[in-house]
Amino acid sequence: MVEHLFEDIFIVTRLDPDGKKFDRVSRIEARSEQFDMYMQLDVATEVYPMQAGEKFTMVLAPTLNLDGTPDTGYYTQAGRKTLADKFDYVMHGKLYKISEDSSSGQAAKVEIYASFGGLLMMLKGDPSSAASLELDQRLFLLMRKV
Amino acid sequence: MARPEERLRCTKEPFIEDVGTRRIKSIRFSMFSGNEVRQSAEAQVWNSRIYDQDMRPVPNGLLDTRMGAANKLGECTTCHGSFAECPGHFGYLKLVLPVFNVGFFNCILDVLKCICKSCSRVLLMEKDRREFLKKMRNPKADPLQKSAIMKKVRDKCKLSRCPWCDFINGVVKKGKAGLIILHDCSKTLDGSTEAIRSALSHKKEKISISAVRMLDAATVLSLFRRMIDEDCELLNLGDRPEKLIVTEIAVPPVPIRPSVFVAGGRMSNEDSITVILKSIANTNSILKETLQTGGQFTKCYDCWQLLQLQVVEYINSDSPSLSDSQHRGLVQRLKGKTGRFRGNLSGKRTEYTGRTVISPDPNLRITEVAIPILMARVLTYPERVSYYNIEKLRQCIRNGPHKHPGANFIIQPDGTKLHLKYCDRRIAARDLKYGCVVERHLEDGDIVLFNRQPSLHRMSIMSHRARIMPWRTLRFNESVCNPYNADFDGDEMNLHVPQTEEARTEALMLMGVQNNLCTPKNGEILVASTQDFLTSSFLVTRKDNFYDRSSFTLLCSYLGDAMENIDLPTPALIKPIELWTGKQLFSVLVRPNASTKVFLNFTVKEKIYTSREAMCPSDGFVYFRNSELLSGQVGKTTLGNGNKDGMFSVLVRDYNSHAAASCMNRLAKFSARFIGNHGFSIGVDDVQPGEHLNQQKKKKIDEGYKECHDLIASYSKGALTLQPGCNAAQTLELKITGVLNQIRATAGNVCMDTLHWRNSPLIMSQCGSKGSPINISQMVACVGQQSVGGRRAPNGFIDRTLPHFPINSKTPAAKGFVANSFYTGLTATEFFFHTMGGREGLVDTAVKTAETGYMSRRLMKGLEDLSVFYDQTVRNASGGIVQFLYGDDGMDPAKMEGKDGKPLNLDQLFMKVMATCPQRGHDTLSPGEILQILNVKLSEHDASSDDSCSEKFKQLLTKFLEERIKLLKNTRRSLHLDEDHVGKKDSSIEECIAANISGISAKQLQVFLDTCLSRYHSKKIEAGASIGAIGAQSIGEPGTQMTLKTFHFAGVASMNVTLGVPRIKEIINASKKISTPIITAELLSGKDVLSARIVKGSMEKAVLGEVAESIKIVLKSSQPNLVVKLDMQRIEALHMGISADSVQLSILNHPKIKLKSEHVRVIDKAKLRIYPAGIDKCKLQYELHNLKSMLPKVIVKGIPTVERAVINKIGDGYNLLVEGTNLLAVMGTPGVDAMKTKSNHIMEVNRTLGIEAARRSIIDEIQYTMKSHGMNIDLRHMMLLADLMTYKGEILGITRYGIAKMKSSVLMLASFEKTAEHLFNASYSGREDQIEGVSECIIMGIPMQLGTGILKVRQRLEHLPEFKYQPDPILS
Repeated sequence: MVEHLFEDIFIVTRLDPDGKKFDRVSRIEARSEQFDMYMQLDVATEVYPMQAGEKFTMVLAPTLNLDGTPDTGYYTQAGRKTLADKFDYVMHGKLYKISEDSSSGQAAKVEIYASFGGLLMMLKGDPSSAASLELDQRLFLLMRKV
Repeated sequence: MARPEERLRCTKEPFIEDVGTRRIKSIRFSMFSGNEVRQSAEAQVWNSRIYDQDMRPVPNGLLDTRMGAANKLGECTTCHGSFAECPGHFGYLKLVLPVFNVGFFNCILDVLKCICKSCSRVLLMEKDRREFLKKMRNPKADPLQKSAIMKKVRDKCKLSRCPWCDFINGVVKKGKAGLIILHDCSKTLDGSTEAIRSALSHKKEKISISAVRMLDAATVLSLFRRMIDEDCELLNLGDRPEKLIVTEIAVPPVPIRPSVFVAGGRMSNEDSITVILKSIANTNSILKETLQTGGQFTKCYDCWQLLQLQVVEYINSDSPSLSDSQHRGLVQRLKGKTGRFRGNLSGKRTEYTGRTVISPDPNLRITEVAIPILMARVLTYPERVSYYNIEKLRQCIRNGPHKHPGANFIIQPDGTKLHLKYCDRRIAARDLKYGCVVERHLEDGDIVLFNRQPSLHRMSIMSHRARIMPWRTLRFNESVCNPYNADFDGDEMNLHVPQTEEARTEALMLMGVQNNLCTPKNGEILVASTQDFLTSSFLVTRKDNFYDRSSFTLLCSYLGDAMENIDLPTPALIKPIELWTGKQLFSVLVRPNASTKVFLNFTVKEKIYTSREAMCPSDGFVYFRNSELLSGQVGKTTLGNGNKDGMFSVLVRDYNSHAAASCMNRLAKFSARFIGNHGFSIGVDDVQPGEHLNQQKKKKIDEGYKECHDLIASYSKGALTLQPGCNAAQTLELKITGVLNQIRATAGNVCMDTLHWRNSPLIMSQCGSKGSPINISQMVACVGQQSVGGRRAPNGFIDRTLPHFPINSKTPAAKGFVANSFYTGLTATEFFFHTMGGREGLVDTAVKTAETGYMSRRLMKGLEDLSVFYDQTVRNASGGIVQFLYGDDGMDPAKMEGKDGKPLNLDQLFMKVMATCPQRGHDTLSPGEILQILNVKLSEHDASSDDSCSEKFKQLLTKFLEERIKLLKNTRRSLHLDEDHVGKKDSSIEECIAANISGISAKQLQVFLDTCLSRYHSKKIEAGASIGAIGAQSIGEPGTQMTLKTFHFAGVASMNVTLGVPRIKEIINASKKISTPIITAELLSGKDVLSARIVKGSMEKAVLGEVAESIKIVLKSSQPNLVVKLDMQRIEALHMGISADSVQLSILNHPKIKLKSEHVRVIDKAKLRIYPAGIDKCKLQYELHNLKSMLPKVIVKGIPTVERAVINKIGDGYNLLVEGTNLLAVMGTPGVDAMKTKSNHIMEVNRTLGIEAARRSIIDEIQYTMKSHGMNIDLRHMMLLADLMTYKGEILGITRYGIAKMKSSVLMLASFEKTAEHLFNASYSGREDQIEGVSECIIMGIPMQLGTGILKVRQRLEHLPEFKYQPDPILS
């Protein structure tokens, strides 16, 4: 079993904090239970509707292969068993930016930015959560409602 | 021309040395004497008849066949050439009496003023004569100086008695009518006139005597003949002066004045010149007869005068001495736009050209142009037959002139030309040999030049590759519309086919579309996506656009013509269903497959961007990382023109123009196909306002109207608080305008907010393809205030705009506020106001085109010959240095990446290096190490390469890295790490994260610095670059785009500065008087309002009438006087510092009031008593009243030329804006910081501060004007212009006077303006034109010394003399 880069359970606190701008995509605001992470994530709500107050598990993984072989970057359709089988909603994208959050005074926080083909994610939390993440890393985001 | 049998046959051919090709090195202008005219002529003309009864040219007539063939049927009897072959021969016409040449009339007058009318010597004392002669003979004196000396000589020649022969000389002047010179001796102090008068006084009949004698042409001729050569030299004559007078007329060859038969050959239409010459010949023969038969003197004289006038008409039919002329003289043939110089010598008609309507074709590449088959069959290219193309050319020959890939002619190696229409093409094809030249039809891939008028900049003519297509229009990719400024509403464009391989290569390399993607105006990209391409990119990259496998692959196939491999990316959404996003498609577009090594890295903020960078809620932050579109909906900023950090610009800079071009091609193809299927249109429902909007709008308008009414009410009560520098009416206007604009803006905002995102106009305005928010809100919500000349609608009727409104109404509706939208429709009055605004726009564009066109032409003529030499200096054609280093750093403006002409955009470059060169586990550097590496690199670079980079660039680089270090420290501080010492990456989680956030590895820094330096060096300007012409275009072209915003508030409302084309014109013309001179005075204590008020008070002029409480006449028994009482309260309040003493001084210094100090007595601090100066009692009353009317106008304080001064608040400080001139006085005013005080009046800056300050001021003023119109022009162009205007030490405007002082070439000046004048003056002084400038070379048909012409192959033929290292021996 391969180790995930990040795993936590989130609760959706708000939908579209800046007002609804797109028909089929909503930006969700979520907080995690375990690491007290804050997340903003664009979700294609047309195919995977979400509501405020819902709880979901989110996993970031470098590959979908169960044995942990790295992702080739090429997409194959072969119906092998993958990590995705356990989840309802899977996105593929790239980590493009890590920055420090200077606003929150004492406790240093790190912001992790990723883009899944234009659907963006911003994950804010303790630096330790970002330890295994690297810039320009290919990421799979997997979600399952609990 | 001569046929062999006609030539003189010799037993041996005479030996003629073959000297190879000859090149005209220089042209000397001079005059022909009568003798020379006769010698060069083939025939004498004396017969005034042209044709005999049989319509054959009369011998010795004007169309004598010895002078060439008159039309296609005729033949030249001198050389037996036909009309096409023989250029003709001159004839001559002997005048019985000499006449003046109008062109030289002023010169003749000048010479006559300088010489004695008896002995023809110069009227100068021997000492002066020698001195002037020495100056004149100075080898360093250029023609301009010589003519100035000549003027001095003329002014000095005022001696009334000739020092050589004691003859009394009077004043020489022009007669009132016609070409007459008078010699007026009446003023000379000589008794002779009086003596004659008294002697004649006792005679009975009145004999009028006068001392005014006429100098006729014959007399002048004899005077001139007697002049000695040294005197001629003194008068700057290049030749003998008698040549200034016409004795023989050269009759021009017949072919240049063809005769056309009309009415079946019974009549003929003659050229103007023939007609004039005919009348000259006629008059001449009459005069001759009269003289021979001894006719009356008056008759002879009249006849002579007539002859004179006819010769004038022959030379210049526009001459003021002629009443009016129906004919075109010689001068008329030369001058003007269609004259010989501008019409035929500077610009020529060419073959191998085509012109037709243009239309778009997104399927063509940007470098291609589709040429109709019809056109391709006519336009040919001469291709030489070789081993490689013989089969292709054979096929072309077989196809012949009528089938497309065919040919029209074969040129055999011996020069014979075979027309393929009239020969057996199969045989011709069979007999085709290597070395023949086949004029084949255009085919795909041929290089053609493509052009659209007006050709305002060099991108208006570019070379494309031909693509032969059916139908009738020229087609090209819409991305190339911008440089040509073309649209497809019926525009036509021209096509030229270069005819040699050299020309093709040069065209491809220098003029190719690929090599002209960026404009040299400021380095922004010019060839870029437009309109539909932007719209479809915008639509496809929308965040919620998802495509399933079939539609995504379909879209991918739109990108090319199935010729490219495309790697399908992993879908962004894998579960619940696999979906790709539109942004992924864009990533595919930039980098279709893994073998395309293009890694695009940049960020751009689109129009819709709001906040939080990539997390922008409206998705306006475009972020490309390694050719992947991570975020942002792309629009004009990313893809469009006029931008330096857009996608295509980055591609051009980081990769090459080919990468950018192929990306544009893909985008064009994709967009056209996508939007064709997607559909995009606009309808009424797009502009229908919703209920909410209507309510909001009504509310806003009602509120605004109420506010306006309140303002008007308080204005009529006089309760309006005034704004600085405005009166009540101006304040009201300003406030109302503000309120009304606010209404339109808020209505517009509400409108934009309520529109659905699918609204077509909204999409177009958001992505930047067409239209602005204002356009939309005008359609949907409210049209807004109409303005005419920057104000609300003017009063066309008495005190009102239209009779629909009450008199003096200032309400919004009565002054042109249109509350309706275009959707609801305008009321009658609103419509009328709208047309007023519309007309102003139309008139303005019509006027402006002519004005800017002339401005561009002048700029071009002024700067055309400036180019960069191999030593990096900018010089003009004769080698005079204008700049030592182009633009102070020798960089090419077309290649500048950063803002404000900085060579590199370091942020973007750094980002690219960080993204393309990952750290890969290497440790990052500490701040100290970064700086150390930088310094080592820079010093290493300085030592190794021969041309190091400029100090400015090094500073830029250091500053940028310091900025980075600051970021690095920030990161480490917030992660609680040591700021200066960077630990190992694997030592802690924090270290690792810090490295990820802002760490720089040694490798990355190394790559970054290397790229910076190597790229910096590739941006140096190349030697030979015709930077002058580029500069002229870069300043001239934006002029055409300047909108009608001609005024602008200089910080303070109501203080207008001229802007736009008029201002640019003022600067370029170096006008002595400008319309709005403003001095910006900084204050020593800039934070203090009070001191600002005091300074303002001391500058603004105050007249006595303003500060005096009363000026009274006191009539007492003792002595009547005037009592002036000053209003001290007011003086104190305004800090004017005026006292009775200072007033006394001002009165005494007034130029009109002539009083002495005893007349003006100071009584106390605020009182003066003034006594009239005259003692005359009867004039006393008059003088008192006179004084009383004059005194209030006496300026008691301030600078007379200053209209007013306004205090301007900037930030927390103040400065003064002074309207008016006299910079020196303003700088000298106490309290003004003279070091920082500026004026916008260039001539005054020159007068006050000198030429360097004037240069700086020219640069700043042009830049300010351009900036305020939102135009960004590289500073280097303005520097060059300013340097050209100042490099002679005085400010020379780019006008006919200034250019005449800058350039030495006669041909160039003649082709600019005042053609005839320059030519006559040049031949008077015998000037020589070295053919070195651009205009001259074009006129002579020689390659010019600029650009590729700067290259010269030089070979040393003989050995250098050996250098002696020792002095010559004294004894050998």
